[in-house]
Amino acid sequence: MTNAADAQASLELVLKDEIIRMYEEVADNPEAQFHFYHGREAAEMFGYPAQWLDRAPPGAVSSFAGVGNPHERADLEPGEIVLDLGSGAGLDSIIASWSVGPEGSVIGVDLNPTMCLKAQAHAEASGTTMQCHEGRMEDIPLPPGTADVVISNGVINLSFQKRKVVQEMFRVLKPGGRISITDIVSGKQLTQSIVNDPKLWSS
Amino acid sequence: MFGLLEESGFQRVKSAVVPHFRFRKESTQSSAEAFGVKAVMMTAVKPANL
Repeated sequence: MTNAADAQASLELVLKDEIIRMYEEVADNPEAQFHFYHGREAAEMFGYPAQWLDRAPPGAVSSFAGVGNPHERADLEPGEIVLDLGSGAGLDSIIASWSVGPEGSVIGVDLNPTMCLKAQAHAEASGTTMQCHEGRMEDIPLPPGTADVVISNGVINLSFQKRKVVQEMFRVLKPGGRISITDIVSGKQLTQSIVNDPKLWSS
Repeated sequence: MFGLLEESGFQRVKSAVVPHFRFRKESTQSSAEAFGVKAVMMTAVKPANL
């Protein structure tokens, strides 16, 4: 590898640890304040209906760390297979599972196996099910043509390899499948000091 | 992201700004605004004839 590639690989490892730490902190200390909104306050800000938030397990709601509402334009139908990329504590997966019903299914993918277990427990507590696979969004652990819909909420911006993530979403979708994602974008080139700061990536 | 979706083969790519998104800390929000950081929702479709 070149020095630049080595440096990026090293930074990616640091970033992975920082992302896991940050999201675990949100899940474990939902009453804490972060410099992003989270929990019910954030979900309400993005238009999640109160009946969804009342019905979902409190742990899934309080750990919510999304940046928008991917359900608003997902138009999920009963029987569809949904992939929730970066499923976290599972709120979006649970809402998707209500939409696709028992004849459909929801598959979560998350970097953190602990969050996968939490999401599955939250899904079970809400009377539904989801499979969650530990994995990277740059290398989604699913075969081609698996999903009718990919949803994602605030995680693709955390990747150094966004092109690879987009290609992976394309690969795992069925022909005619669709994405509905919400994420953070920047209108200007970020400075190298920002790019090299893992705390800013995960905040 | 919009460009990446189109380059990767997605069609009918649409995006809209997420209303009401902001950071909790004012200093973070100010920095975000300076860099044009915003939350967007995006939809796109994989062609059916692949």
